[in-house]
Amino acid sequence: MKLLLGNLLMAIGLVGGLSVAQAQDVLKIGAPLPVTGALSPEGTKLKQGYELWQQQVNDAGGIKVGDKQLKVELRYYDYQSQTPRAVQLAEKLITDDKVDFLFSPFGSGAAKATSAVAEKYGVPMIASSASSAEVFNQGYQNLYGVYTDNSTFSEPLADVITSKIPDVKRVAILARNDLYPLSLANEFEKSAKKRGLEVVFFEKYAIGTLDHSSALTQLRATNPDWIVVTGYINDLITVRKQAAELRVTGKALTLINGPAYQEWINAVGPLAENVTTASWFHPVVKYQSEDVFGSSAKFVELFRAKYNGDPDFTQASGSAVGVVLQLAIERAGSTDRDAVRAELKKGGFKTFFGPISFAPSGIANSYVPPVLQLQGGKVQVIYPAEIATGEFKAGLAQ
Amino acid sequence: MLWLQVLVNGLAIGGLYACIAAGFSLVWGVLNVINILHGSMIVLGGYLAFFAHQQWGINPFLFAPVAGLVLFVFGYALQRLAINPVMSRPFLITLLLTFGLNLFLDNAMIALFSADFRKVILDPPLGVFELGGIILPVDRVYATLTGLVIVGALWIWLRSTQLGRAIIAVRMDRDAAALLGINVSGTYAIAFGLGAFMAGSAGALLSAIFPISPLASAGYLGKAFAICVLGGLGSIPGVVLGGFALGVIESYGALFLGPEHAVTVAFMLLIVLLMVRPSGLLGRRGFA
Amino acid sequence: MNPRNAVLAIAALAVLALVALQADNYVLRLATMFGMYATLAMAWNIIGGFAGYPSFATAAFFGLGAYATGVAQTNGVPLLLAWGCAGLLAAGFAALLGSAILHLRGRYFAIASLVVADVLRELTNSWTDVTGGGMGMNLPLIGGSVVDDAYVYLAAMLILAAATFGTSLWLDRSKLGVALRCIAQNEDAAQIIGIDTRRAKTIALVLSSLFAGLAGGAYASWVTYIDPTDVYDGALSVKPILMALLGGVGTVSGPVLGALVYLGLEELLWRNLLDFHAGILGLLVVLLVLFLPGGLRQLRGRGLVGWLKGRFAR
Repeated sequence: MKLLLGNLLMAIGLVGGLSVAQAQDVLKIGAPLPVTGALSPEGTKLKQGYELWQQQVNDAGGIKVGDKQLKVELRYYDYQSQTPRAVQLAEKLITDDKVDFLFSPFGSGAAKATSAVAEKYGVPMIASSASSAEVFNQGYQNLYGVYTDNSTFSEPLADVITSKIPDVKRVAILARNDLYPLSLANEFEKSAKKRGLEVVFFEKYAIGTLDHSSALTQLRATNPDWIVVTGYINDLITVRKQAAELRVTGKALTLINGPAYQEWINAVGPLAENVTTASWFHPVVKYQSEDVFGSSAKFVELFRAKYNGDPDFTQASGSAVGVVLQLAIERAGSTDRDAVRAELKKGGFKTFFGPISFAPSGIANSYVPPVLQLQGGKVQVIYPAEIATGEFKAGLAQ
Repeated sequence: MLWLQVLVNGLAIGGLYACIAAGFSLVWGVLNVINILHGSMIVLGGYLAFFAHQQWGINPFLFAPVAGLVLFVFGYALQRLAINPVMSRPFLITLLLTFGLNLFLDNAMIALFSADFRKVILDPPLGVFELGGIILPVDRVYATLTGLVIVGALWIWLRSTQLGRAIIAVRMDRDAAALLGINVSGTYAIAFGLGAFMAGSAGALLSAIFPISPLASAGYLGKAFAICVLGGLGSIPGVVLGGFALGVIESYGALFLGPEHAVTVAFMLLIVLLMVRPSGLLGRRGFA
Repeated sequence: MNPRNAVLAIAALAVLALVALQADNYVLRLATMFGMYATLAMAWNIIGGFAGYPSFATAAFFGLGAYATGVAQTNGVPLLLAWGCAGLLAAGFAALLGSAILHLRGRYFAIASLVVADVLRELTNSWTDVTGGGMGMNLPLIGGSVVDDAYVYLAAMLILAAATFGTSLWLDRSKLGVALRCIAQNEDAAQIIGIDTRRAKTIALVLSSLFAGLAGGAYASWVTYIDPTDVYDGALSVKPILMALLGGVGTVSGPVLGALVYLGLEELLWRNLLDFHAGILGLLVVLLVLFLPGGLRQLRGRGLVGWLKGRFAR
């Protein structure tokens, strides 16, 4: 038994020791990923985004810091889609793996929880996928998110719908009882009320709900013109199908987040028609950039070549956090955290994802995310007008 | 009208719940094994149906028995190889064993199929029944009917064939059954295989209704648990009753207290039931 | 109780404390985690091992403790008092729960205890005003330096583990412990020879929940963020059982050893296998159950190699 104890302690120590020795011309970035558990699909997407950026940078020689070029090394660990585990991981990445910077875990809740650790150690963390104002309200100096606020979804969507369907009066909102979907739903409620619309239904459903027929039956009974449902892809697949079965009718249906993903379109088939959604990135955006990709079009082309498909916003955000960090480091001319943080605060990064600057709270506020509608099985951009590929259509598929 | 529609919704999901729980209940009742792997086997059945539909266009409702057969072989072999050696040990041991298998199978399915949610899309869609404004989706009716036919066939088979009666005998009293010359470990393997059959066919039926992913397995397992407690351990009519009861309770819970409390209501009732009648609605005392 | 085991277990704790004194934050985290796992395994062992009641309620007590601390701390209650609340709430809840489900036996008790965590999770989820619901809860930092904080939580967890160990040791030798062992052997017989089985079982459940609740409280303050799916995670009910089985159910030091071995395995796999750590862990659990159903004690005296030889030489 003594032997066993000793061996075990040694084995743990050994592996711990190995990771300390590292070459010096390397920039280490810690990235907690949800490889297993509920967020596993998103974890895979983020990793694809990170790795496309990493490959581009390293093929080009690395990140230029003064006269040196640093290769990018990403440190992944699986936080099993459990937020506290992500928090512990951030601490481990900083103290044990000694990473220079952090990419946030997926989603608003985990980004918020982890930002406390980043703040404690003073390590700048770039958040790929946090858009809820509640994440950025703690006065932290080390959290920078590339997504714009949730209201940048609800406002343009409400504009499009009220202008194209002037007789819209009644709005029904169904939200997943979770940080991001609920925050988003609250923004939709505000945007609707601001325009004089009546919110006739506002309910939450529990995380892990298998069947939405009761909620949708009640929703239908309120006879809404515009229906907004927030949640994640599996919720929204079931919601779309059950809404059709229960003959839920209305003039417009907005589902976020899901319809911008190809998997969602595949899983609902013809019912995708005319569903509106929004996302922070779409392959049709046309930004010229000063980053390693050069332009949105080039990014899309490289992504297609590597992964055989169009990038969605989660995949793109994985590359976006990379280019933002890279630009900040190159401007600072150093990997010193204070210098890089100062550049992040200054902002003004022209990236393939859009022009990125941060509000004092750390959330991006410098670009307009596209509003999308599914037409003929394809995602069309209906707003803003400069990049629109289609016109908004009213009505719902049955 | 709203009340009636909510009742119909509850019954429609209740039928699916019965399918989800039937195999779990059988294994629990006969083998005294709490099969944590059950949810993963449902998902595996769902994937089989998804790929059969994608590759050859086979309707998942017709494919259900085939998925069941594949899972039967899987379950039978698994019981012989891994579970049988520890059958005589306390149920905590077999529970841990299936817990380990569940971790492995879920992770393996993520590695093989990815965790992306997918769904079988029937073309043309089956549509809905409508009667006086009350709506009932046809796919749920098919799934419930197919599920009830399979559960019913199992029930009749258990009562009318020699092998079936052997399973019941083993469930009642293992030692006495052994004395009567029944091959107990062979019976166990068949019963576990049947449990897997039910899981596989339930998975195939669900693949047309819910999105499939390895991530869904824990949810199905949780439902199976609740339904068995409601209906009674190892009782097949109990499972059917428990499934419908859970569906209706959740449905009305969502109506009265809001959708976010639907599951809470069901679980609260479950606790109360456990306190006053631990053997479930139709279970008999004394199998513990 | 074998005194040698007790000495070994205490020695292991002491070694860990020593290691921790000169280690970086990562090792501190592992050691704190060990304290937590050991506490949970020993806490389960009181009801599950000594009394033989297969409880799956560890996650329920843990989560209750975590949320009690969370709510107390965010309302300005000092740290130690908040932990006190956690322990008391969990223990009080267990006393009530015990009167409701301790008359159930075997599988029925197992299921009833398993459902408890689900109910509490759903309640926590839907009681958004107090608990933050699915959004989780951020706890205030206690405001020391990074390293000091780490030591505070390490000390808290190790002291808690030591207290649980002391309680197990006392229980092992007390009249109550004998009563519990009788219940585990044959409850009806225990009743016949005049043991107040109801009282004994309830005390065991309350003690078990007290330590699990305290562990949950310390965990909440330590990680500073909790959410219902995490602190009521069913794995928190299963892992302690696994650890106890590994080290030896119903022994005093077994769960400590089991916790150490389990933590080591989990951490090694997780660190080195990004995509398949859970699968391999599952496979190891299967192999352990199949080939070492009696736990690591089966290896004693021969070592792993000797045991393997003995097993395959037949």
